Amino acid sequence: MKILVVDDFSTMRRIIKNLLRDLGFNNTDEADDGLTALPMLKTGKYDLLVTDWNMPGMQGIDLLKAVRADESLQNIPVLMVTAEQKKEQIVEAAQAGVNGYIVKPFTALILKEKLEKIFARIG
Amino acid sequence: MFEDKELITDDNIARVKDLLVCMEKGNEEDAIEIIDELTTIRETELYQDMGKLTRELHDAISNFGIDDSISKLAEKSIPDARERLNYVISKTDEAANQTLEAIEESIPICDNLNNQALELHDSWKKFTNRELSADEFRTLSREITEFFDNTQKLSSVKGYLTTVLLAQEYQDLTGQIIKKVITLVGEVEDKLVGLVQLTGAPQVKKETESESASLDGPPVPGIAHKDTVSGQDEVDDLLSSLGF
Repeated sequence: MKILVVDDFSTMRRIIKNLLRDLGFNNTDEADDGLTALPMLKTGKYDLLVTDWNMPGMQGIDLLKAVRADESLQNIPVLMVTAEQKKEQIVEAAQAGVNGYIVKPFTALILKEKLEKIFARIG
Repeated sequence: MFEDKELITDDNIARVKDLLVCMEKGNEEDAIEIIDELTTIRETELYQDMGKLTRELHDAISNFGIDDSISKLAEKSIPDARERLNYVISKTDEAANQTLEAIEESIPICDNLNNQALELHDSWKKFTNRELSADEFRTLSREITEFFDNTQKLSSVKGYLTTVLLAQEYQDLTGQIIKKVITLVGEVEDKLVGLVQLTGAPQVKKETESESASLDGPPVPGIAHKDTVSGQDEVDDLLSSLGF
């Protein structure tokens, strides 16, 4: 299980990476926005994408849409971890095909729950 | 602007009556003289009023100028505040990284000790049940020695925890800086209100609708956000109402 963590703040990436390692996911890579993440994803090495929304360059929602539009990537589960709490944004992410939506600040338990839910659904 | 009652005085009425008499008599010279007199009276009032207005305007402008805090705000305080806020970012960044580093160093040490302790516990149980061979006992005794050696790393964990503790000083420092910036923002607000009043522009309309396209970022307590959820539970409810 290889996971790509995308966030423009290195501290947030580090926190997520540490939490993931605590949950037994040791194989993680980082990217600081959608533009760097997309080519990494296209290598086909990743089984899960964890992304922020508000980033310079390419935002998380656009990365999600690009992933869903790409034949080779469209089935990769995407978990959004963001401070954006507007209802219309959550709905937009859902319509774009997000698999989980976590609002910051979040806890290790919430991350665990959402990951378990994603993996249960994809089997 | 002109206080007309000052124009309709007994003196002026007498002048106009004289003027009428002069004109009816065809006495052009006297008539012109009276008209000139009236014009002078009128102009004097006009000049006085203009003078008053000019002085008021001058006072307002010079009061505004004397109060050089505005230019000071623009030239010094605002860039200064920007500098301070940048410092807040670097301070919080530094603290977060120090903390994360300490945690990343500590977790493997704790994990190792925990795993070793669990293994020793199993072996020890076998030992007390007399299920351990002599060879296994020698292994156990070596493992116990290793374990005790490893526990010395706990002192470095304590060091990391102290680092985490000290890193929290950022809250004090950044808090003070942010308070100063808040005061400055208040001053700028006052000056802007003064400027708006001076120019006589109508009071600024209550907040314009923010562009919906912009991202709000983290919710700030005390600032109302329209159509937002508060917390993970509401996100989950919203998503499940959409069939998630």
